[in-house]
Amino acid sequence: MTSTAQELHPAPTLQPGRTILELNGLEKRYPGTHALKPVHLAFKAGEIHAIVGENGAGKSTLIKLLTGVMPRTSGEVIWEGKPAALATPHEAMALGINAVHQEVVLCRHLTVAANMFLGEEESRFGLLQQRTMVKDAQKIINGLGFDLPAHVVLGDLTIGQQQLIAAARATVRGTKFLIFDEPTAYLTRKEADQLFKLIRRLKGEGVTIIYISHRMEEVFELADRVSVLRDGTLVGTRNIAETNEPELVKLMINRSIEQIYHKEHFTPGATIVETRNLSGKGFENVSVTVRAGEIVGLYGLIGAGRSEFVTTLYGRHRKSAGQILWEGKEVQVNSEHDAIRLGMALAPESRRDQGLCLNLPVGMNLNLPIYKRISSNMLISGAKEKAEADRQIADLRIKTPTRNALASSLSGGNQQKIVIGKWLAHGAKLFIFDEPTVGVDVGTKAEIYRLFSALLSKGAGIILISSYLPEVYELADTLHVFRRGKLVATHGFRTADHEEILTQALAEKQEKQGGQT
Amino acid sequence: MSTEAIAAERPKRNYNALFGLTLLALLVLLWVILSLATTSFASANNISNLLRQGSMIAILAVGQTFVIITGGIDLSVGAVVGFSTVIAAMLINAGVPVFAAILITLLVGVAIGLFHGFGIVKMGLPPFIITLATLTSLRGIGLLMTNGNSISINNDAFQEFSRNSFVGIPNLFWMVILVGIPAYIFLHHSRWGRYLFSVGSNAEASRLSGVNVPRTIYMAYTLSGLCAAFVGVLLASRIGIGNPTQAEGWELQAIASSVIGGTSLFGAVGSVHGPLLGAFILATINNGANLLNVNAFWQRIITGLLIIVIVYFDGLRRRGK
Repeated sequence: MTSTAQELHPAPTLQPGRTILELNGLEKRYPGTHALKPVHLAFKAGEIHAIVGENGAGKSTLIKLLTGVMPRTSGEVIWEGKPAALATPHEAMALGINAVHQEVVLCRHLTVAANMFLGEEESRFGLLQQRTMVKDAQKIINGLGFDLPAHVVLGDLTIGQQQLIAAARATVRGTKFLIFDEPTAYLTRKEADQLFKLIRRLKGEGVTIIYISHRMEEVFELADRVSVLRDGTLVGTRNIAETNEPELVKLMINRSIEQIYHKEHFTPGATIVETRNLSGKGFENVSVTVRAGEIVGLYGLIGAGRSEFVTTLYGRHRKSAGQILWEGKEVQVNSEHDAIRLGMALAPESRRDQGLCLNLPVGMNLNLPIYKRISSNMLISGAKEKAEADRQIADLRIKTPTRNALASSLSGGNQQKIVIGKWLAHGAKLFIFDEPTVGVDVGTKAEIYRLFSALLSKGAGIILISSYLPEVYELADTLHVFRRGKLVATHGFRTADHEEILTQALAEKQEKQGGQT
Repeated sequence: MSTEAIAAERPKRNYNALFGLTLLALLVLLWVILSLATTSFASANNISNLLRQGSMIAILAVGQTFVIITGGIDLSVGAVVGFSTVIAAMLINAGVPVFAAILITLLVGVAIGLFHGFGIVKMGLPPFIITLATLTSLRGIGLLMTNGNSISINNDAFQEFSRNSFVGIPNLFWMVILVGIPAYIFLHHSRWGRYLFSVGSNAEASRLSGVNVPRTIYMAYTLSGLCAAFVGVLLASRIGIGNPTQAEGWELQAIASSVIGGTSLFGAVGSVHGPLLGAFILATINNGANLLNVNAFWQRIITGLLIIVIVYFDGLRRRGK
């Protein structure tokens, strides 16, 4: 099966170990910011080079310079011994530099095959050879070991699967230098393993990989070398064998790792919500209790029914059986409006699609749930609106010039703080966080966890959904494991080990986890 | 995300107001040029005429802007104006007291707006489609009701209103103020106004934040329908007839005024003062072109070019900042 794939993406003829790309004082200034201070770095052909750093450390700037999305302020880029301008994305691609972005940038309404060949369609006499393209795309996908159909519409796949297609697409274009920007942020463990296989294979073919991730275990699993950026400065490059996680974290944030998972234990209070044998689309028979002052973690693979369970609890979908008890009384939650009125708040998984009004000011985003409270009759009290916004910006430590800055101008971590933080002012009792730290750096994660504690101390309860085991493991007082729509196991705080929980989440197939080898 | 890029960017402080000022400057500039270039422009008569011409489109543009801010569009407003002239004319001729006739006409506008909301929220139709459907069918209904004839309104007092002035300013322009001030307070200082913006920016996020999205959409189209019916009453008063084919193409002028006034067709960006200024800029250009004896065909071309230029520069500035 590999032979066809080999034909379709011929391996670059490069000797491993040779320098393919060299940055000579690469620098980027924006009006008012020095986003990237002069970087000197050489990438070797066929290496996997991880780049880590907090949001805003300069990683995205570096990628944008390398892929020709933005022009550099000064410095040189030497590509295979010759200076390269890298002025346009087209030029970068022509050289063989390609990127797979964190959020899939493909056409969701076109088929997988059409996306794979977008811009390089096969045609005969001006007519698209659709069938041939589907066949070829399928060959490539199979060759990469992905179990995905090429003829379906991209939007019908999960985000994780779309990400794999994006990666596959990048490999068919004679790429010699491939940048992965947080590729596993939305992937399940299994999908991530498939991606890692692909990355290792590309490396074997002499492709240079830049791998950007917030997940340290991935860096150690994959990379040959790792570079750390902090505040726009390259603070160090290490061979992976000669470093360890604490050292990298320290380089990144100047803070020790124990300070990240900030966990305060509160004595659980009264029961806030209880589900009894709740069933609905995608899950059945789930009984969960959340008390004041506790975090209830829901762990499982994507599609295990966790999100379906909480969205039903939140009134988005109808339950098919079972009961919801709110503070001891049975309630019907028929809409999100009902849920919010009861005192629930949901911070959704996809902040860009569901959580934020990007082209509106920060202050307005923060106040959105509480406009009722800060207006008398119909009119908004301008003073209260400003005061609430400023107070929240200060409380949440949101880095923004003023409350009038657009939400889109903030970094991902700060956007996430808005999505979560706006509910603090609302005074909800039950908070549901669906993957709250996806694509968020370590420093911001720590701050988000602190927000959790702040909520708990006010007597709120939290349901925390995460596909990132260390997160639920270190934070949840009660940890429920979901598999295929069922609640299969329940643990207390740190009463089971990772191994056991993972097995319960996967169970039916005792396949080896790539991460554990 | 160019996180570091924009982190240091200064916010557009009171951007809307600034943009309003540039538009105002443009309007004043046009007036100065026309006063110098023609003898008749600066006459009291012509100015009142210009204010009358611009007023009706200005009111339409305000309603239209509410809709556009939610990310929608209301193509029906021209047809609603024409239809409303028929309703008003028939009621008044049937002996219904004028204030009652006006009230009923306005309620018809509200009903049309509610129907649009229903089509969008309940039937899931795109705003473009449902309002396009109303555009053609309302004209048809109006023609059926009138048998294709114009109805002359036999009530002098009703017609006097649009010709008269109050403290030297045409009544029609007072109507702009009557609509504009509540509209401004509604959009910029009320909860509902905020919700229009948030729904236009991200309906899903708004819904999850407890905003009643369907109600917000109903509200936007109802207000647009109400504004259009109100303009219908004013038009009936001004020309003294009810005719369903009146106000042909006014929806496009209203959209153009709104867009010139800084409203983004992608939603979530807009104001009340911008579209008002936009409407009077368009009216000034038409008026000035008439006085300068510019071929009427050219006026349309100039209007088109102007829309491109203004929106282009507005976009440049937004991106540049």
